[in-house]
Amino acid sequence: MKKMLLLLLVLIFPVMRAQGAQNQDAPTRDAAIPPDIEKLSARAKETVEVTMDGPMLRWASKFLSAKDPDEQKAAALVANLKGIYVRSFEFDKDGAYSPTEVETLRSQFRSPGWSRVVGVRSQQDGDNVDIFFKLENDKMAGIVIIAAEPREITFVNIVGPLEVDQLADLGGEFGIPKLDQKSLSKAHRGEQK
Amino acid sequence: MKLFRPLLLFAILASITAASTLAFAGEPEFRAVVNAIETQYGVRRTHIPMLGFALFFVRPEGVSGMKLAVFEDFHSHTSADKVIRLVENSLGPGWYPFVRVRSRKSSNGDGTEDGDAETTLIYASPSGGKLRMMIVSLESEEATVVELKLSDHAIKRWLQDPKDNAEEKK
Repeated sequence: MKKMLLLLLVLIFPVMRAQGAQNQDAPTRDAAIPPDIEKLSARAKETVEVTMDGPMLRWASKFLSAKDPDEQKAAALVANLKGIYVRSFEFDKDGAYSPTEVETLRSQFRSPGWSRVVGVRSQQDGDNVDIFFKLENDKMAGIVIIAAEPREITFVNIVGPLEVDQLADLGGEFGIPKLDQKSLSKAHRGEQK
Repeated sequence: MKLFRPLLLFAILASITAASTLAFAGEPEFRAVVNAIETQYGVRRTHIPMLGFALFFVRPEGVSGMKLAVFEDFHSHTSADKVIRLVENSLGPGWYPFVRVRSRKSSNGDGTEDGDAETTLIYASPSGGKLRMMIVSLESEEATVVELKLSDHAIKRWLQDPKDNAEEKK
């Protein structure tokens, strides 16, 4: 009877683990997010942060490839990545952020090793999109997307090897905005000339 | 028939107890997060009668297991970062930050803000073909801890659009 009671207690009050959550990817994560971006968060009505890196990203790749043949393209791309980081800021009114703030953010990716391959400016609706590629030893090592609308800013940092033509395959997954394949290919070819 | 009634009653009570017990047993991380909030902020989770029984039968689409703790008397003015540290210290290995949503109250008119109105933290624990999620939602006067086990379909939905799914869960 005592054994039964003990077993019941063990079932009801399981031993709790007091170890911290996985944090070995924290240095990569911190480096992937520009520190200035937090200033936008202070004024945003809503801030959404999506983090996919380390074992979680590798698991997602395996899961997608095993469960859905249509997702195998995206899954294969994800398998080689180190991390996907999305920060989205939504504001309650136009002008809540200044163009200078976005420009400061963009300027961090105009440094050596980075190359801007897409830059779209819409005077009509105020939508601006910039895509920067990181090159390491002449190979793609990462992509940053900065999309600014009058009431929303989205920052995406994809860390790892990825070709520009493949970016469209990842659009619509992991919170990455959908991107037009033709525009990307055209922009990339134009940049390479 | 007289003998049958007590047996039936016992069976029903046993089912309810088992369901309630299952709602908390075997998932130490859920209890760890709940206990950490109780200890840190001096609150007790609100007792909801038959909660385990209800969760056993009523689940959102794509959720195969669900645990819920609500703190109605949660009056915390602490920063979200402190809560994040508390939650991460309570979760064991194998849990990863996935989505964080912060909503603010509207401006006071003098350019100042009221601070975080709501913070939702979502951690994921992938294992094999399964994914568990720990969702901690903090409002100025209420906190909620939810653990979910997701179906394949639900996992795919979350991977495709974590932002919208997180906003729905707020």
